[in-house]
Amino acid sequence: MKKIYVSTIALLMLSGCAQNTPDASGNVSDANRIGSDTISIDESNMMEDGSGINYNSSSDGFVSVYFDFDGYTIASSMENRVRHNATKLQSVGSRQVKLEGNCDEFGTDEYNYALGLKRAKAVKDALADQGVNTSNVVMVSFGESSPVCSDPTDECYAQNRRVDLRLVR
Amino acid sequence: MRRLLLLWTVWFTTNLLAVDATLKIEKDVEQRARIALVDGSAEHHEKFFDILLSDLKISGHFLADGNVYKGSFSDGFIDPKLKSRDYLLKYNLQLGSGTTLYIRLLRGADGTELFKKSYSIPDTAKMPFVAHKAISDINAYLKYPDISWLNRYVVFTRYAGKQTSEIVLADYTFTYQKPIIRGGLNVFPKWADGNQRTLYYTSYKGVLPTLYKIDIYTGNKSKIISSEGMLVCSDVSKDYSKLLLTMAPHGHADIYELDLSTGSKKRVTDFHGIDVNGKYVDNEKSIVFISSRLGYANVFRKAIDAPAVSPVVYHGRNNNACDTHDNKVVYSSRESSSSFGSNTFNLYLTSSRGGDTRPLTTTGSNQFPRFSQDGSVVLYIKQSSRGSAIGYINLASSQSLLFPVSINKIQSIDW
Repeated sequence: MKKIYVSTIALLMLSGCAQNTPDASGNVSDANRIGSDTISIDESNMMEDGSGINYNSSSDGFVSVYFDFDGYTIASSMENRVRHNATKLQSVGSRQVKLEGNCDEFGTDEYNYALGLKRAKAVKDALADQGVNTSNVVMVSFGESSPVCSDPTDECYAQNRRVDLRLVR
Repeated sequence: MRRLLLLWTVWFTTNLLAVDATLKIEKDVEQRARIALVDGSAEHHEKFFDILLSDLKISGHFLADGNVYKGSFSDGFIDPKLKSRDYLLKYNLQLGSGTTLYIRLLRGADGTELFKKSYSIPDTAKMPFVAHKAISDINAYLKYPDISWLNRYVVFTRYAGKQTSEIVLADYTFTYQKPIIRGGLNVFPKWADGNQRTLYYTSYKGVLPTLYKIDIYTGNKSKIISSEGMLVCSDVSKDYSKLLLTMAPHGHADIYELDLSTGSKKRVTDFHGIDVNGKYVDNEKSIVFISSRLGYANVFRKAIDAPAVSPVVYHGRNNNACDTHDNKVVYSSRESSSSFGSNTFNLYLTSSRGGDTRPLTTTGSNQFPRFSQDGSVVLYIKQSSRGSAIGYINLASSQSLLFPVSINKIQSIDW
């Protein structure tokens, strides 16, 4: 009986803590309303392609193509992105387009730059397979020097293993 | 605060050294000369003392007493407790508008002066180089094997932001650091001459990566070559007339040899995967390089004028960087298979013909191995849970040193 009495008192005290009681300055504290941060999305440069990827670091209407860890083959989930880029490439006429190969941070000096280049070459070949003239396409590898995300998470690393496309200015 | 930093440095170094303690000790400790430092300066400079001590230690020729002894610079008095040392190095450091150093090498037993010299430079930032020069001069006077690599610049690239980097000069302890090329993405610096007056580097300023040669004293710069995709100067021949380049004119990285006198290029490898990191071996008749031709990064060897390629390393699933000196090969090997996060990379020493392989490190992530100019010491970058450090392993004496560094991610390094 004594145990139940103590528990009841404790519950009353806890529920009292959650009430919005003004402090001496008249400020109201309500921890329930100050929860974790809300999302912040920029949809201006995204495409719905069924890949489940909702980020993009290409420009001029192109979309980035993403790769597996240490890989440079184009996954089937990226095929819609390649098709989108092929259509876009045909629309830019004779303007030069740059494919920028990028890597996550898990590699060392030369090998990582070469891996970025292989990714750019895979995208160029995939565009050619779509029947697009790629003579105005140039490739460059930035290795791990151009991350778009620096958080130590798998999703962040995945955003950095990419090929970006943009017009040469 | 300085004392706290020093204590942390000692703790960090000692802990990291402890984990590489499996190194084989090849040189008998008793063969090294016992030496003590006697500071005759008006004010003791801890950092300078530490640098002198590091120089003596990594030389592999001295057993240096780590205690600080103060005493008169000019007289021949020897503290009785120091008479058992083979040598005493008395020094007087004066820092003002520049750096001035006076040194005297005395015989421990009787105080006989063996060698004396003074150094003066109009710069205090370059103080570490004065210490290095003094120790290498003493080493030369005693006719020990050359350690003039102490005096060389280390050049490295550190990332400063997205597609932004700095090429930085440092002394081997990284106490001295000076950015010499800033702005944009400039990577893969490589010394272009024996006096470290000029260096090659790759600039991403234009549409295509371009290799430049720059005089670090005048800033005079000349374009060497451009390539689509990527371009790296991986090695320079001993007479500085030829370069081994990683280029990608066909969309994948291959190794080329560029003759600077004629401008002619020779394609050394031809593989539709990744071939990078070409290094001369066998009197520059062959190269050792990193290739993905087995499906993962590994070390291979190939004669420049013959097609056959053979593996040099038969262990590890990711051996992605190497350096050579004559026929010695040092490479980093991934020892764990975590896709993300921290992996263990260790350094191994082998020969270009394969055979005997010796581990140089045992824990942490050890990468960017580079031989000193004489091949006697290996530089590397160590990452561990305790932080980053630049490390040195003297291959003859198995002495190793680590200097904690707090800099952004290093992209490439040369020595």
